[in-house]
Amino acid sequence: MEPGLLKSADWPVLIDLYFFLGGIAGGAFVIATIANLLGHERYRDIVRVGYYIAFLAVIPGPIILTVDLGLPTRFLHMLMVAKPSLEIGRDAVTVGPFHLKPFSPMNAGAWALLAFSACAFLAALDVFLEHRGGRSMRTFRGVVGVIGTFFGFFLAAYPGVLIGATARPLFVSAHWLGALFLAVGASTGGAAIALILSVLGATRREALSRLMRFTAFALVVQLAALALFILSVSTAGSAGIARALAQLITGPYGLPFWLGAVVVGILVPLALHLGGVTRKAAPAMTVLVSVLILVGGFVVKYVIIAAGQAT
Amino acid sequence: MARTLAMFTDVSLCIGCRACQVACKQWNQLAPEEPEWTGTYQNHAHFTDKSYRLVRFFEETDDKGQIKQWHMMSDVCKHCAQAGCLEACPTGAIYRTEFGTVNINQDICNGCRYCVSACPFGVVSFNRDTGTATKCTFCNDRIHNGLGPACAKACPTQSIRFGFRDDLAGVAEKRVEELRKHGYKDAQLYGADPKGDLGGLNAFFLLLGKPALYGLPEKPKLPQRNVLVDSLLSIGSALVVGLGALVAFRGRGGRGDA
Repeated sequence: MEPGLLKSADWPVLIDLYFFLGGIAGGAFVIATIANLLGHERYRDIVRVGYYIAFLAVIPGPIILTVDLGLPTRFLHMLMVAKPSLEIGRDAVTVGPFHLKPFSPMNAGAWALLAFSACAFLAALDVFLEHRGGRSMRTFRGVVGVIGTFFGFFLAAYPGVLIGATARPLFVSAHWLGALFLAVGASTGGAAIALILSVLGATRREALSRLMRFTAFALVVQLAALALFILSVSTAGSAGIARALAQLITGPYGLPFWLGAVVVGILVPLALHLGGVTRKAAPAMTVLVSVLILVGGFVVKYVIIAAGQAT
Repeated sequence: MARTLAMFTDVSLCIGCRACQVACKQWNQLAPEEPEWTGTYQNHAHFTDKSYRLVRFFEETDDKGQIKQWHMMSDVCKHCAQAGCLEACPTGAIYRTEFGTVNINQDICNGCRYCVSACPFGVVSFNRDTGTATKCTFCNDRIHNGLGPACAKACPTQSIRFGFRDDLAGVAEKRVEELRKHGYKDAQLYGADPKGDLGGLNAFFLLLGKPALYGLPEKPKLPQRNVLVDSLLSIGSALVVGLGALVAFRGRGGRGDA
């Protein structure tokens, strides 16, 4: 690929913010659902805060995406148009005015965002009502949780698949971006819950410790996916792709990539966790670890997209 | 579907007059733009929302850096048989016509700009005035009235030819043979083979050297070929993360509970 001829979508940093918040929302929802499944009473705080975060973090999504459009009034065209065209792509399904394009991650992602938002709203409503003294609708929450978990994973991962399906030299031969974004969603979702719980100081130490154990595990997956992504790009073999990769790891994005995404975002929090800080030390240390993970989670998405758009 | 229409651009006949570029601007009523100094007669450096046709100028140099040959190539949207922009489009605004060409329905496009980054040739451009993506349509209004695209009509040397794809492919084959006979050993077709990359290009080219000489990708790839693999890897990652959560939250509580 000759990058000189290619063009960039020039998505603003606002889109990175949506990818970041969508990842947190998806990750927090999945954590809350699994915690709810394994210990409704024991993980009550994690479940409640997780579902609240999922709902609150997904709200800005549709707003950001709509504002970014060239014609914001046509936001619904992502899902439906009054008079659809006939041949609009591989395996495209049109039902009445609605269309689903499985090979357009942006279209599939818009549907996932819609479905996830509904689940996140219902789950947040359920934990809210329970907290206010109402009866918990266990089965209802379970069903919403399972459906929402699917779409939560989807919401966290699809931006990676989306940028991976562009002609940008950094992405055209890349793999593992969806897996990476999913892992970032899990780690930042866990960090967001841990941050709120530590600040409120309202949860059981044991539950928080288990949450941090999971978050640390997600960081390991994140590190592995990041390494595999770099590996998939570096073995692609074209000069244009090599130039694009150099931008990311040694060029202008090298410092934020290594320092922000790898050291601050993964290695330091992992070292602090393995050192026992999140189990034994004061809640302030858990706050610190969570903030580092959140900063790193934003930086890793930001630098990859920025480097991909620049070269 | 009607027979596929195509455009055959023979760079060996191009004289760099840019009549095609002007005809395109006039017929499609594209607004004027500030000229750019690109180092050659080429204007602009890239396709823009107001330049759907672009004559590219290249200076081929020898080992000593001396100019060996000038190359001129009238570039255009390739209307790929497997089109990255069309597959990327989330709204269905980008569609394939009955002639096999790829168009952007301006009444549907909402300006998400995903197609801009999905085109392997950097063709699709975002128009800030209309808020939509635009590109060459093969003069959709003209071809539906039997006129042929404005650029091909204006070309004084028949460097740009328009017609049915299967007919033109035959013409192109003969032309390559003829050029090779006359000593142009590197003469080759780009995108003419319907079994080739991207299922063949409906705007294909006769080049006098390697595609890289003209800034074209050697093997253009459909970006969406990554979607299935990346999705499967994401599912794998979801299973690992989900399993991790099950292990982390499983087991008896009580220890350290406050």
